[in-house]
Amino acid sequence: MEIRIEGLGKHYESEGRTVKALDDVDLTIPGDRIFTLLGPSGCGKTTLLRCIVGLEAPDAGEIRIGGELVWSKERGVNVPTEKRGLGMVFQTYAIWPHMSVFDNVAYPLQVRGMGRREIADKVAGVLRFVQLEGVERRSATRLSGGQQQRVALARALAAEPKVILFDEPLSNLDAKLREETRKELKTFLGKLKITAVYVTHDRVEALALSDDIAVMRAGRIVEIGTPQQIYFHAQHRFVADFIGRANLIGATVRGHDDATTFVDTPLGPIACERRDLAVGSEATLCIRPEFMRVAAGARAGDDNVNGGKVGDGSIGDGSVGGGNVIRGVVESLAFVGEVYEAEVRTGGLLLLARIDPGVDIHEGDAVSLCVDPAHCLLVSR
Amino acid sequence: MRPSRPALTSTLIVIVALLTVAPVLMLAFGSFSQGLNAFGHFTLAKYAAAYTDPALLRVIANTLVFVVGSTIVATGLALFLAYLNTRTDIPFKFLFGVLAIVPMMIPHLLFSVSWGLLLNPSNGLVNRALQDAFSLQDAPFNIYSLPGMILVEGLLNMPVAYLIVAPAMASFDVSLEESSRVFGAGTWRTLMRVTLPVLRPAILAAVVLGVVRSLASYAVPRVLGTPGRVDVLATYLYGMIATGYSPDYGKAAALGMSVLATSIVLIWAYRRLTAESGRFVTISSRGWRPTVIELKGMRMPLFVVVALLSFVVVVLPVAVLLYTSFVPYSMVPGAAAFAQMSLQHWREVIGDPTSRLALRNSVFLGVVGATLGVALSLFVAYVIVKVRTRASGLLETLTYLSFSFPGIVIGIGFMWFFVRTPLYATLTALLVGYIATYLPYGVRPLASAFVQVHAHLEESSLVCGAGPLTTMRRIIVPLLVPGVVSAWILMATMFLRELTVSVVLSRPGSEVLAVQILGFADDGLWGKLSALGIIMIVISTALVLLATFAGARFKAAQASAG
Repeated sequence: MEIRIEGLGKHYESEGRTVKALDDVDLTIPGDRIFTLLGPSGCGKTTLLRCIVGLEAPDAGEIRIGGELVWSKERGVNVPTEKRGLGMVFQTYAIWPHMSVFDNVAYPLQVRGMGRREIADKVAGVLRFVQLEGVERRSATRLSGGQQQRVALARALAAEPKVILFDEPLSNLDAKLREETRKELKTFLGKLKITAVYVTHDRVEALALSDDIAVMRAGRIVEIGTPQQIYFHAQHRFVADFIGRANLIGATVRGHDDATTFVDTPLGPIACERRDLAVGSEATLCIRPEFMRVAAGARAGDDNVNGGKVGDGSIGDGSVGGGNVIRGVVESLAFVGEVYEAEVRTGGLLLLARIDPGVDIHEGDAVSLCVDPAHCLLVSR
Repeated sequence: MRPSRPALTSTLIVIVALLTVAPVLMLAFGSFSQGLNAFGHFTLAKYAAAYTDPALLRVIANTLVFVVGSTIVATGLALFLAYLNTRTDIPFKFLFGVLAIVPMMIPHLLFSVSWGLLLNPSNGLVNRALQDAFSLQDAPFNIYSLPGMILVEGLLNMPVAYLIVAPAMASFDVSLEESSRVFGAGTWRTLMRVTLPVLRPAILAAVVLGVVRSLASYAVPRVLGTPGRVDVLATYLYGMIATGYSPDYGKAAALGMSVLATSIVLIWAYRRLTAESGRFVTISSRGWRPTVIELKGMRMPLFVVVALLSFVVVVLPVAVLLYTSFVPYSMVPGAAAFAQMSLQHWREVIGDPTSRLALRNSVFLGVVGATLGVALSLFVAYVIVKVRTRASGLLETLTYLSFSFPGIVIGIGFMWFFVRTPLYATLTALLVGYIATYLPYGVRPLASAFVQVHAHLEESSLVCGAGPLTTMRRIIVPLLVPGVVSAWILMATMFLRELTVSVVLSRPGSEVLAVQILGFADDGLWGKLSALGIIMIVISTALVLLATFAGARFKAAQASAG
């Protein structure tokens, strides 16, 4: 079920200053997909979610859920939370401590006046769905964090809502459990035909779970796209930076050809994925650390240990043979398990590169970094 | 969406200010007035009279020794017990729970009387038994002395100190100690250099609270100090307004101002310290267990000490009262005593119209006062916790102001007020005085109940499709019930035994149990006193059981409705 948001605004007064939590937000959340609102804390993502569910009243704009107008400042429409027919999983789970698991899950059905028999059947069904059979009579707060999370999910699903909302539901779990629960959640949601709106500040969670991601900053939506689009083809510097680790380098557009845009940077000329930017305009070059391939530098000899992807002796020119080559000196090297993380000093900049642990490399070595133009992303300043 | 509720907040501020600020203001005005009937005629004469009295120096010295001594006893015992309970392998740990809770159920007045019955120099049971056994000329113990008062007050305040210190010790991050051990310090050095310093805020909080309580204490000095002519500020103040002499409310107010100011400063310090101790003591969220220190050879001897302490604090006072209520006069337990046991004192007390009136009044004040007090506390706690505006902060300060009220002093403040109204010498006057003095006891459990009701619990009910009324009925009220029950119990038992405010405000016709018991003590009618005291303890316990039962029934009803 589609959610349409138009011109939504919300501001707070805080210590005499006006904070815009939502700044004229227009957004269409498509039906039957997992849609994530991603952004740093204070970007307005939770406020937006709470406006959708009706726990906050916006100052301006309209919200429609499946064509039904639930909020309009101008027309004075405000469907109260309990009449919007949604489901929600709270950050704290909000499991009622004085009720059993069964009562927690049955609650939305009870308040809808459903018969006892039917409630029992539905609760059993939804508990089976979240794999929580056999704990119906337990006090819900006695369960483990992961189980409580599933009770919260079961409660949100019990009344078969049109839309289910998640407010950072994994942030209270420890790292390992968070990963497991995330996978579970993905499985559960994959089996349902339901519109899910998911709020998080965790980029890995957003990438792993979502069909679509909207990145937010300072009360505005910066960019919307699939996880791949957002990660590989971001338009904005903020988005590129927020969604993953990135080397961000100032660049000036020099020219284009069919598939490539050429820029000047402190690293020298670099060939990038094509972006339609005016020649001479300023942009930001974004290179993710994992796309920097390392060849030993000139002084270290021609070992070719990294699979022969080296720009084959032509070091010195920025972009040769379709690949960019950047020369520098390894300033620090840290082994973090699956890779080395190297800081490479070049052109007055310090670049982060993730290096295959099989490569024989040491601090102080001169290296050449090869980057495919397809992985050189130009984003807004 | 945090509601600001300005109308509710300001109404509550007016009510609570009437209860807590008004008596303080009346006390201040009164201290500059000539007398109860000459209110408002400005004079400094009362201050001059109060502070130049040559007896005052002696009283202050006694008060200092009493307060410091009893605080050391209370905190020392609390630390000892808390350490044994939380950090060692001492057996029968349930005893510590008993030690921490049960003494609070025994009214201070009766606790003091029972110690008087045991250790008074003329016919104390223990003294007499020892004299008989060892053919001593003089009584070996005299409870009617500063050391006696210090011991009894210390034992009375120990549970309060324990309840502050023990949780801090239990939540102590044990790695702090372990690192000390790693660097080569032994158990004792670690205790002195790491454990106690880290717990300092909690310990200081216990000390400050002990000082405030013993400074305000009236029962112990009255029962144990007055016979030995050891006056402290509380009894000295009461002496100025006691009917029978020529009461001087102006002088009492002038001196009371200093006691009140001291108390307010101390409570301010206490609240700062408890806020700090929350930050200081590190509670790790992982499921860890503090290393248990093995007592080895000391295990049993230390346990005997704890068991003895439990006996002395919990069993002995009630046993002594029960015994005294059955024997015709003070006699050492033995065949002769048991042969003469009768229900005579009980019959006399039950037949005594004043005692019956006092009983009725106290039960009325306990039930009605606690109900009204909890109703007020419910709104106050709601505003303090859920409405976080500047006004709600003011309300919180006003509420906890009365936490620092020494009963006698605030009673004098109320006297200046009530004497000008038709409420003078009525039960309503006592009711107002009680609620004002004990408001924090109602607000505190309810505030923690409201804290527990996280906004998400309410909101998720709305999202599930329940309207505001259903949410109130099925989510908020059931979650608050335990807080309401404990607030009601606390207030009802406090009111039932109330002595210090009552002793000032009570007049013929508005007698209450504690005042009547004190009257028996003054007349040396120990048998009747004990019978009435036991009745008081039984009613207290019954109220506690009743409220707990009602709370459990409510929960069960809620569960079956769902």
